[in-house]
Amino acid sequence: MSNKLINIHNDFHGYNELLKFYNINKDKFFDDIEVILEEWFDANLSALLGGTLDKIQNDGLNSINFIYLSPNIQTILQKNNFLSFYGYNKRDDTYHSTIEYKKFKPSDSRYFHQYLEDDLLNHTRFPNMSDVLHEKISESIHEMFVNAQIHSETDFIYTCGQYFYQRNEINFTIVDTGIGFAKRIQKDLGFEISSSQAITWAMIDGNTTKQGVSGGLGLIILKEFIMNNQGKIQIVSGDAFYELQNKKENIKKLDAYLDGSVISMTFKTNDTKTYNFSDEKEKLNIDDIF
Amino acid sequence: MDRIKIDIFSIVGQKNCTLPEDGDKVFRALERGLKEEKQILISFKNVEKLTTAFLNNAIGKLYKDFDEEKIKQSLSVVELSDSGKVRLKRVVNNAKNYFKNPDRMRESIREILGEDDGE
Repeated sequence: MSNKLINIHNDFHGYNELLKFYNINKDKFFDDIEVILEEWFDANLSALLGGTLDKIQNDGLNSINFIYLSPNIQTILQKNNFLSFYGYNKRDDTYHSTIEYKKFKPSDSRYFHQYLEDDLLNHTRFPNMSDVLHEKISESIHEMFVNAQIHSETDFIYTCGQYFYQRNEINFTIVDTGIGFAKRIQKDLGFEISSSQAITWAMIDGNTTKQGVSGGLGLIILKEFIMNNQGKIQIVSGDAFYELQNKKENIKKLDAYLDGSVISMTFKTNDTKTYNFSDEKEKLNIDDIF
Repeated sequence: MDRIKIDIFSIVGQKNCTLPEDGDKVFRALERGLKEEKQILISFKNVEKLTTAFLNNAIGKLYKDFDEEKIKQSLSVVELSDSGKVRLKRVVNNAKNYFKNPDRMRESIREILGEDDGE
């Protein structure tokens, strides 16, 4: 039976459909998994599709076949290199609208830094993006990548993104197929907790599962920045979908379960705030650090 | 000599200081300096990327074993941008709170579990 993924956007419905597809197929053995992508597929979700297809593929026990791709979807997924992992050729991305799909081992820090600098942050199509904004975006992405490296117990970290020139936005999505928020808390702190509760807890300043060392600042710093920047954060882990947009947080329960987590960040590139740290400086008095 | 300089770039070996295990290397140097009553100048020269995960391990962890006043008297920072200072200050404040109440994590989970989870 083929699996149809139709009109998949970077929203609750899109994640829900992708995860239903994953849950239907994840326990199969020696099977041909046929996939159809139709109408629309937001390119950044390649990171989630790639991560879940690797799980479904189960180290080669199942084979994945894209039996139909709408031409517009095929083009973008060849441009962002996603389809190269499934036997297609890479296509030139003349207008540089995609941020390449990548699959990193958690130990691949240097390779990730290079990719971030070369592919994402030194991008010439955003000439008006201020250096400070560049730095804030870079630090947000680094914080989220290191979280996946240290907390997730994943085999790989999948990343992808997209530029939206007309909307002045960059999206960057980081996916792991590891333990997820709720099981991390259960394992480290011994509490049975729902995925929604786990995300809610992780979004509070200073909350960390680390033992003997403080932490829990990365997500908070990201949240503060996104609220100022008027961007968007989406987090998916287990059966929970969290979204922060227009300074409002919302959590919903998905119909299916992700083993792992998604952090999807959307940044406004025409943000002219100076982020000169004056407010933070006044609050924090950085001349008296210790 | 009572004054020493600890160069982060040299200890980590690269400009991107993001990983906690690299922070641990810096921590060991600072820990030793503090135990031996040194005045320590921490230099971030040539460091380009810093995460809170790195700073928690490099500097935040000092507040577990050393008195706040001793750390304040002994450590100083150079070649760190304002944004880096903001980040480090948050890490320091967070570490002070964390080590004052080690049960706070479990308490905060109990609070969440006691609430309606919104589902």
